Amino acid sequence: MNQIDKPIANPIVVLREEFDDWAVLFNADNAAAVGTNPVGVAVWKLMDGKKDIEGIVSEIKNRFEDTPDAVGEEIAAFVGILAENGFVGLEQDSK
Amino acid sequence: MRTPRSLTIEITSRCNLRCRYCYFFNNPEVVYRDLPTGEWLTFFDELGSLGVMTVTLAGGEPFIREDLPVLLEGIVRNRMRFAFLSNGTLIDDEIAAFIAGTGRCEHVQVSVDGSSAQAHDSCRGKGSFEKVLRGIHTLQRHRIGVTVRVTIHQHNVHDLENIAHFLLDELGLPDFSTNSAGYMGTCCVNADEVLLNVEERKEAMATLLRLTEQYPGRISSSAGPLTDGRMWRRMEEARAQDKPAFHNGGRLTGCGCPSNKISVRADGAIVPCNMLAHMELGRINHDSLSEVWQNSPDLNQLRTRHHISLAEFEFCAGCSYIPYCTGNCPGLAYTLTGQVDHPSPDACMRRFLEEGGAIL
Repeated sequence: MNQIDKPIANPIVVLREEFDDWAVLFNADNAAAVGTNPVGVAVWKLMDGKKDIEGIVSEIKNRFEDTPDAVGEEIAAFVGILAENGFVGLEQDSK
Repeated sequence: MRTPRSLTIEITSRCNLRCRYCYFFNNPEVVYRDLPTGEWLTFFDELGSLGVMTVTLAGGEPFIREDLPVLLEGIVRNRMRFAFLSNGTLIDDEIAAFIAGTGRCEHVQVSVDGSSAQAHDSCRGKGSFEKVLRGIHTLQRHRIGVTVRVTIHQHNVHDLENIAHFLLDELGLPDFSTNSAGYMGTCCVNADEVLLNVEERKEAMATLLRLTEQYPGRISSSAGPLTDGRMWRRMEEARAQDKPAFHNGGRLTGCGCPSNKISVRADGAIVPCNMLAHMELGRINHDSLSEVWQNSPDLNQLRTRHHISLAEFEFCAGCSYIPYCTGNCPGLAYTLTGQVDHPSPDACMRRFLEEGGAIL
């Protein structure tokens, strides 16, 4: 299994949701901060270490109207950036 | 912003020094009382639930609190980072090691007011220079970020070049910031012996502007002679070119702090800023911080201060700099005029020029 298939949100990261539905993800351990839109917030909340990227994309398509064709690639890229910066852990397959 | 991103918290009203220009002490509108550990820990839990990112611990002198490690654990547990505003004289290996071990310290800002004990101790007390240097070396040894603030007053205004050399070349600090003694708290009592006069202010501006060219990007300020020198130069240029100097100039736009952060006094009173310590908005663990942040009438009025035109003030009558002016700090405006919604006379360029000042 590709390790990033089941991303899990780093519990140390703070999600600051603002009035306009945008949000800031803040990693208190390294002071890194990332701004994200409502779709990113939804992706963040879905990263529970149980869903793979396909599952997350499917859920996003259900929740948001008019998702672009490339939404899968965009979410995978977003998760990849978060993983590189310590915002997301990678659930290891024990088998 | 739904909640503040950062707070400044005066975790104690105690201090081991009695600096002659201290803004904190001798404020008749402030209650000097410390809260027990548990009160702060409860409040830190609330901050964690609100997504606050950083708390700056101030005082008084924050390192005087015996329970500091417990307080820091409360901050770390709630996924926040922290910084200190300190006189630097009480920092030992034990607390420095603890701070370094958390991995959450942004920096410790300490005050250094001179390149020698004579200049530094003149306003901060005998022996404090030696102690603050020991504190800085201790922080450096533990790889904790140290920032230095130089407060300029009558007794160190002629020492600025030496201070820059000492801090940047000898101590090897990456940078330092400056301000000047302001008419607040204890400084009001000692104003004649501490505050810069026009000539000294002119000298400080000239020296600092020259030093910023000598040390590019390593000397900063958000108030005081360097800021005044830069702002007034920009205002003069804008007036000459008939162009705006600042966004929404000509109104009370000099302070954006209430939109980003908030402060708490040592006795638990929530205030907009340490410079507006009289303006009680609520009390921690009694009033919801998010409720105060979003709905306090006083705080929201402060946030709309930028709608007030400088042309409305008799103080500004006939001033040709109005379109280029911001009115500057509401805290100093309050201590000097008794009104928060008033331009600060301390930052008035016209007055400075009328009293013999010059734009460099």
